[in-house]
Amino acid sequence: MTVEATTEAAPVPKRGMNILFGLTLLGLLLFLWLVLGFATNSFWTPNNISNLLRQGAMTAILAVGQTFVIITAGIDLSVGAVVGFASVAVAWLLAAGVPLWLAMIITLLIGVLIGAFHAFGIVRMGLPAFIITLATLTSLRGIGLLITNGSTISITNEAFTNFSRANFLGVPSLFWMVIVVAIPAYVFLHLSRWGRYLFAVGSNSEAARLSGVNVNRTIYLAYILSSTCAAFVGLLLASRIGIGNATQAEGWELQAIASSVIGGTSLFGAVGSVQGPLLGAFILATINNGANLLNVNSFWQRIITGALIIVIVYFDQLRRRGSR
Amino acid sequence: MTGLYDVSHRHEEGAVTVAKHPVPKGQPILELRGLQKKYGAVEALKPANVTFLCGEIHAIVGENGAGKSTLIKLLTGVIRRTSGEVFWCGEPVQLSNPTEAIARGINAVHQEVVLCPHLSVAANMFLGDEMNKNGLMRKRAMTAAAQAVLNDLGFNLPAAATLSSLTIGQQQLVATARAAMRGTQFLIFDEPTAYLTRQESAQLFRLIRRLQGEGVTIVYISHRMEEVFELADRVSVLRDGTHVGTRKIAETNDAELIALMINRTIEQIYHKETLPIGATIVETRGLTGPGFEDISLSVRAGEIVGLYGLIGAGRSEFALGLYGRQPVTSGEIYWQGKKVEIRNERQAMDLGIALAPESRRDQGLCLNLPIGLNINLPVFDRLTSGFTINRRREIDNADRQIKDLKIKTPTRRVLASAMSGGNQQKIVIGKWLSHGAKLFIFDEPTVGVDVGTKAEIYRLFARLLEQGAGIVLISSYLPEVYELADRLHVFRQGKLVASHGYRGGSHEDVLTQAIGV
Repeated sequence: MTVEATTEAAPVPKRGMNILFGLTLLGLLLFLWLVLGFATNSFWTPNNISNLLRQGAMTAILAVGQTFVIITAGIDLSVGAVVGFASVAVAWLLAAGVPLWLAMIITLLIGVLIGAFHAFGIVRMGLPAFIITLATLTSLRGIGLLITNGSTISITNEAFTNFSRANFLGVPSLFWMVIVVAIPAYVFLHLSRWGRYLFAVGSNSEAARLSGVNVNRTIYLAYILSSTCAAFVGLLLASRIGIGNATQAEGWELQAIASSVIGGTSLFGAVGSVQGPLLGAFILATINNGANLLNVNSFWQRIITGALIIVIVYFDQLRRRGSR
Repeated sequence: MTGLYDVSHRHEEGAVTVAKHPVPKGQPILELRGLQKKYGAVEALKPANVTFLCGEIHAIVGENGAGKSTLIKLLTGVIRRTSGEVFWCGEPVQLSNPTEAIARGINAVHQEVVLCPHLSVAANMFLGDEMNKNGLMRKRAMTAAAQAVLNDLGFNLPAAATLSSLTIGQQQLVATARAAMRGTQFLIFDEPTAYLTRQESAQLFRLIRRLQGEGVTIVYISHRMEEVFELADRVSVLRDGTHVGTRKIAETNDAELIALMINRTIEQIYHKETLPIGATIVETRGLTGPGFEDISLSVRAGEIVGLYGLIGAGRSEFALGLYGRQPVTSGEIYWQGKKVEIRNERQAMDLGIALAPESRRDQGLCLNLPIGLNINLPVFDRLTSGFTINRRREIDNADRQIKDLKIKTPTRRVLASAMSGGNQQKIVIGKWLSHGAKLFIFDEPTVGVDVGTKAEIYRLFARLLEQGAGIVLISSYLPEVYELADRLHVFRQGKLVASHGYRGGSHEDVLTQAIGV
């Protein structure tokens, strides 16, 4: 088909549509909270809400990083493995007597390096993003297991492990970390030119290149941000469970991708936001939390999550088609 | 007698039954009565009464956005009409989906090939209609049958080759052959020659006439007047969604048609002003790279340098080399007298080179992003203050280009994909006007663009020249470069083979040099 729509019939995408979609997700989240509030006695307890915010926080941060990559029409399958590896790295460094601040910085730098390696594979070696990140997914788990010899490294640094249990202004510090990541991420994606370049590369990299966009640099940026977010989550996870273990965060990459997609990101690239994946992550966390409270078999939880992804993304497709 | 190569009778099961020879030649085969299409409150096609006669070639002309595509989509069942009636062979029909249209023998060949690039030519020709034996595909038989069809049509194409190994023009011929062999009675061509070379166009025209001889009714949509006069028996004109008239080709002329289409006379289309020629902006000496060899030419301020040749002659490759997109293997570039090396696009842009590339779809636009973002893409560094983009400047810049170039859109937030070809081209141009440059390279700027927009683009050239810029105009459409270029260079097989002054040499000379016979 030619796409020669008559000009008069060109649809005007209302900016409201995006806000509306965000509100629909927010509405869904509040609806879930309301229903769980009625269905269980324990949902609206401070303890459970804190727990929910902690659970959702880590997926949310991963999902934001993942979204940068997906907007460039790529994918990062390695984030779960990076989380596990980062937890090992920080535990190993602390055990070796490295000061906490330095151990954290080194761990984040490892994230930067892993992301740069992904981009190198894509840009210089011409590998598909799926392949290079799949390769690091399995290799990083292996390296982590080698370092720990298959066991775990305990973390004795109390300042570090207390952080994840602490509250600030009554809100878990882990949730504050979401805000610490989300605000700069929002500024980066929606207000800076780098964000525009991510969208342009995801839409048509050749057009972006011919318009003077440094496509390679943009791809480096996206993968580095994703891996660094993952390394950051690795720090949070290590703080929360007090150990470094290479097999932790199994399957989190899929949680992150699912959150991103539920939040309206298109796997074909060039469509996405920061707020969407955040809401997506907390919707997933709420479902898991609610299912636990309702004593739903954990096997069923997986099935429900899968079904929900289909339903939400299907409605998103309908919405897009409707606005076309 | 339904098309040249009706192979549908070979179907073992579930063959599409087409009423053979529905109406005698010259009688109405398809009648539209008050056919109308609305999108919301907007009428894309106002109630139209058009009759297509069996066995005629019926051209449809109109500017982009005039409703031609809407009409095709209605006839091929891609969209459903809002109101009105359609009569096929005298009987009212729904045409509510593509399957129904195809079952009745209505097919379309689109401007951009919609086939599977990774499959073979034969597999594409039989796609969805494969020869089977005991549930297995008869691959060799299909290749042989496809080859027989291609040979008979005089297309020198291998049926076993992968489709993507052919040029776009050759792929278009495959698409036509595909439609020709499947019992078509009514075949719609939507600007089929937009990407074809002259020989390929000639082959296509021979095929169209042959189909007509077999009793197939042809609807031919084109921006190119000379094609309409060469081929058509009758012509219908659309303007702003209204069917403004149908003429017998023998009783009209291009001036009348253009007046019907746009209310503008033909002299106003090629807008040429002779300006004083200034200093040399760029000069290449023996520039060589992938697809072009030993190109020496220069562009001076205030002049249009035309590059003419067949598709694949190395013109676009030369432009990409000059722009830093393709590596240059040898030769030199002098920018305003100084020797420079251009290693990437950003360097070219910083020097003052702008490139509006050959393919809007593949190289020019981020189609699923808003018009505003597309226009601003080359200049975001200038719209940024501190870390963030200055929102006001971003909006102003986009809106200014939309207004200056008369891009027909309600807002800058509309996606580029929703725009017609002409408006998309304006977006590409808008990108480079907002960036600014000394040297503008326009590669096929008027492909798939209506006459009105063409005239606007040519006037824009004049404006750029007045401001002291130089223009490289790459075109496969000879009248365009011939009428506009101060100097015309002819490319053939990667080499610059001849040069002419303004309107130097005859059309025939230039063509002969480009084809090399």
